[in-house]
Amino acid sequence: MVVKADVQLDAKGLACPMPIVRTKKAMNELEEGQVLEVQATDKGSKADLAAWAKTVGHQYIGTSEVGEILFHYIRKCNPETSEQEEKTFEATIANEEIVNRDGLILDVREAAEFAFGHVPGAKSIPMGELEMRMKELDMNQEIYVICRTGTRSDMAAKTLAKAGFTKVYNVLPGMTGWTGELSKEL
Amino acid sequence: MSKKVAIIASNGGLFDAYKVFNIATAAAASEKEVEIFFTFEGLNLIHKQGMQALEMPAGREHFAEGFAKAQIPTIPELVEMAQELGVKFIACQMTMDVMGLTEADLVEDIEVGGAVTFLEFAKDAAPTLTF
Repeated sequence: MVVKADVQLDAKGLACPMPIVRTKKAMNELEEGQVLEVQATDKGSKADLAAWAKTVGHQYIGTSEVGEILFHYIRKCNPETSEQEEKTFEATIANEEIVNRDGLILDVREAAEFAFGHVPGAKSIPMGELEMRMKELDMNQEIYVICRTGTRSDMAAKTLAKAGFTKVYNVLPGMTGWTGELSKEL
Repeated sequence: MSKKVAIIASNGGLFDAYKVFNIATAAAASEKEVEIFFTFEGLNLIHKQGMQALEMPAGREHFAEGFAKAQIPTIPELVEMAQELGVKFIACQMTMDVMGLTEADLVEDIEVGGAVTFLEFAKDAAPTLTF
């Protein structure tokens, strides 16, 4: 699986606790919302990095294994602000309702988050690329914008509405509450 | 949830050193406030010369190869890393007196104190660990 990340960290050959120590240092250099890829050979790093991310409030996205090497993906979060932001886009739709509707499911999470599991058939345009890639979308189609918790999708829905899209819905609660089928196809 | 981890290091072998410093650096990297109280043989772990040549437990010397193969950092490296991550070291005054050690014998940037110094920090720490 080829997964896009903003920053890469080579922690191959290092034993516990070094992958964690290096990850912590590397994370300081990331902007909020960016994704770090940690390459490690320490087999314990999978459980450790997931636990570390949970403790310090970042989002552990997933791990893929290629031969002996583990590729971990972590998205930088600010636990004090990011999840609490108010969602103000008025047109919303529940997770369950988008399954059998005709429109397009637009996933605005980072590419790595999308790669580790999305609603089957969803289209990926990370929030940061939305303005640039808006022309890929059809104004006549209903668009259900989804992210992890509804915050980024709220912003994306507003961006689309401002650009003249009228059939836009923010999907709530988003992928955190998704119990349906997940696809890893890219 | 407590943001503090308190550690008592009271043994002076190589294995003891790894247990202490691995947990300490991992905790510090997880944004915990960490203090280690070095007492009795534990002072060996921050003794400038002593820490360079800590001993394996008797009969376990063959693990040396495993340490090298797994590319485990050395104890002086872990000590430096722990301090860089903000782990605070407290050396036990009473033990230093008994062993005839002075601050100059120990690594830089440590605090020397008694049991109460450590207890004050540890009173609301979770977990408190003893090695």
